[in-house]
Amino acid sequence: MVKIDTIFFTIVDRGKANAVLRKARECGATSGTILLGEGTVQSKLLDFLGLTETRKEILLIPASDELDTNLHDQISQSFNLSKKNKGIAFSIPFQRRTLNNSSQEHNISIDDERFNHCCIFTIVEKGRGMDCIKAARAAGARGGTLIHGHGAGVPVDSYFHLAIEPQKDTVLIVTRKEKAVPIKMRIYNDLELNKPGNGIIFTLPVSRTSGLFEDKAEDRKGGTS
Amino acid sequence: MSSLIDKVKEVAKTLIPVVVLVLIICFTIVDVGTDVLFRFLVGSVLLLIGLTIFLWGVDMAMNPIGEYMSKEVATSKSPVKIAVLGFLLGFLITVAEPDLLILGNQIEEASGGTLSSFLIVYMVSIGVGAMVTLGIFRLLRDRPLNRFMAVTYGIILILGLLVSQEFLAIAFDSSGATTGALTTPFVLALSLGLSNVKGGKYAEENSFGLVGIMSAGPILAVMLLSIISGQKNIHGDAGEYIFQKGVIGPILEAVPHIFIESLVALLPITILFFIYNFTKFKIKKSEMVQIIKGLIFCLLGLVIFLTAVNCGFMDMGRIIGMELAQMSSSLLIGIGFVLGLIVVLVEPAVHVLGSQIEEVTGGYIPINLIRMTLSLGVGTAIALSMVRIVVPEVKLWYFILPGFALAVFLSFKSNPVFVGIAYDAGGVASGPMTATFVLALAQGAATVIDTANVLVDGFGVIAMVATAPVLSIMALGTIFERRKVVELKHSAEETGSVADMPIAVSDFNHDCLIAIVNRGYAGYVVDLAREAGATGATVFHGRGGTDHPTVILPIVNIELMPEKELICLITDIDKSENVADFILKDTELVEKGEVAVYISPTFALIKDFSSDETSTATV
Repeated sequence: MVKIDTIFFTIVDRGKANAVLRKARECGATSGTILLGEGTVQSKLLDFLGLTETRKEILLIPASDELDTNLHDQISQSFNLSKKNKGIAFSIPFQRRTLNNSSQEHNISIDDERFNHCCIFTIVEKGRGMDCIKAARAAGARGGTLIHGHGAGVPVDSYFHLAIEPQKDTVLIVTRKEKAVPIKMRIYNDLELNKPGNGIIFTLPVSRTSGLFEDKAEDRKGGTS
Repeated sequence: MSSLIDKVKEVAKTLIPVVVLVLIICFTIVDVGTDVLFRFLVGSVLLLIGLTIFLWGVDMAMNPIGEYMSKEVATSKSPVKIAVLGFLLGFLITVAEPDLLILGNQIEEASGGTLSSFLIVYMVSIGVGAMVTLGIFRLLRDRPLNRFMAVTYGIILILGLLVSQEFLAIAFDSSGATTGALTTPFVLALSLGLSNVKGGKYAEENSFGLVGIMSAGPILAVMLLSIISGQKNIHGDAGEYIFQKGVIGPILEAVPHIFIESLVALLPITILFFIYNFTKFKIKKSEMVQIIKGLIFCLLGLVIFLTAVNCGFMDMGRIIGMELAQMSSSLLIGIGFVLGLIVVLVEPAVHVLGSQIEEVTGGYIPINLIRMTLSLGVGTAIALSMVRIVVPEVKLWYFILPGFALAVFLSFKSNPVFVGIAYDAGGVASGPMTATFVLALAQGAATVIDTANVLVDGFGVIAMVATAPVLSIMALGTIFERRKVVELKHSAEETGSVADMPIAVSDFNHDCLIAIVNRGYAGYVVDLAREAGATGATVFHGRGGTDHPTVILPIVNIELMPEKELICLITDIDKSENVADFILKDTELVEKGEVAVYISPTFALIKDFSSDETSTATV
């Protein structure tokens, strides 16, 4: 078995990330970064009322291969990730870049047979994140997580010579590899990402997941799509 | 359904302590009568429903409107246009505020008609308009808030020495009256929108402070009015208070009146927004539907909330105040303190501010800590107000003027983000709950105590509530600042183990680079990356910790984590290493920014807009 360095992602309800990070430290993690995001709800009534978000936290922990395995076991156990709606965890192979080892080559790929899942990132203008999730759902995705961020500054011709930082929605969708292509195409077409400035979409391989309910979603798909 | 339940839970958590405390008082110390008790219980349920709906309407409507308006303001090409729009926004939201009209009428009565309520309402609105304009200019020019407020409060202090006792109280109260249930969330949203549009290193600090600046407007306006008109004393007495009878009757009776007030308060912003939408924004239909739904929720929630507070809580407050004042003054002060501690958390604007703080600082500032500090401040304020009613020698300015002087001093020592939050907290804490429940408590106490004047002592309670949180949060900010200094020394992290794996398929044309840095360095990283050939980047705001000892605040046991920024870059596969090395070579970034870079190959669907480089850069 070859070792893979990863970034371990956990998506849990708002307020829980601190506890997860504490647990991760016990397992030997050295650092972690927490971002705020929003999850999605599937309910016609709430959708009508405009309540379409649940508040989530996304925790990123850089991990080595052993730590990653350890984290998956420990955290899914302590936080009941195997139950529904308790949160999910997944790992994306990432290499820490340092100046000393700049000779290394890329050594992982999305097509790697060991990886069953992948994570689709879509970055679009603020407000279109939900459209993106809708498009993904139509193509068979179960849900997504939304993170607000901003793009790099673009100078604007105004009195104060501001560099406007355009607000962006980033959507994370973790799905099985087979489904990734239709989802990606659907988002790409529905959100017209072929036009300049509309957004970008990219996929990262996922080496391991916990707490994902892909199969159950499959059964319900008829009703939701 | 869970998110709906979450929202209700969030409100219920703040409301239940109030209900429990009042019930304990009712069953042990004070006999309030069944009508009032039942009305209070019905009111509590209505309040829970109303506040939940209102907050959710604010989320859906106020925030986007604030965002669009602020974009319009910030990207104007001439300063005159910014000034006019800023003034108009400030003026319109204030002039329609029902609380202000009530205050105007009170002053007209108290001054024997010399100052008409019309004059007061317009003067105060002009004051707010002017201050909002100045506040917007301050924000866009990146002038530090602490200096701006130092100058503003300097002027207020000087004017404060010139006006009479009574007008000092009225001036500060009018500022509480303008920061009502609707205006505060809107101005908070406006301020957030402006700083988002502006961006830059100070985006976080700039997200707060506009409410604080705005609430200085009425103080200045009323003080000037008093000096110019030569009006010094107010006299008269509040009319005999009649308690309402029945449970459902008074509630139903109050609804139409409150409905009209709320509608009037909501209209100016709505109309201005629709005019702009028609001529400028042209928002998508689906988004418009959401905003309209949000506005309806705002109105509905506000009506239910205000009805609940006015009918269920006001009489209760008054009776408790009267009975306690008769029994013992120390009991009055003690219970005033405890009520202050918990009542402030039910204020709608406190919820709005809380979620905004979380959003802006990426969870760096724990909201619960802010809430506790706010509680302590308001509790103390109300206890001191009771002292003022019981002991006639204690004057309002003993607290207010030195309080603000101290706040100005602390603002130079405090963590800059907290300066804005602290000044905002004053306006946020003095919302409808204070204006009804707490004020009624104080007035009730004042009617019983002979040496107290209901009118004079009634004025000034809101002023106290608006002052104390500024101080308490500023103090918290000072603690944060000191903790942060300790934390900055950090040793270089051990690098992760190098994986050795055969080169796999190379059909990837792009790499995904994630860089994690300390807050404030993201812009720098993006600049470096661009220099090295990357096209665009997306920046996220978060918090994070490394394994060096984290800072834990004593007593409350809350862990503080440094703020981080996460930059996500998509680059060509052959450029990515260059970009990464370029970033890592920058010693300042590595040492102070504590940068860490991660790379993963990615399959990206990016059309090559090589002819149009700038548009990809924005993505």
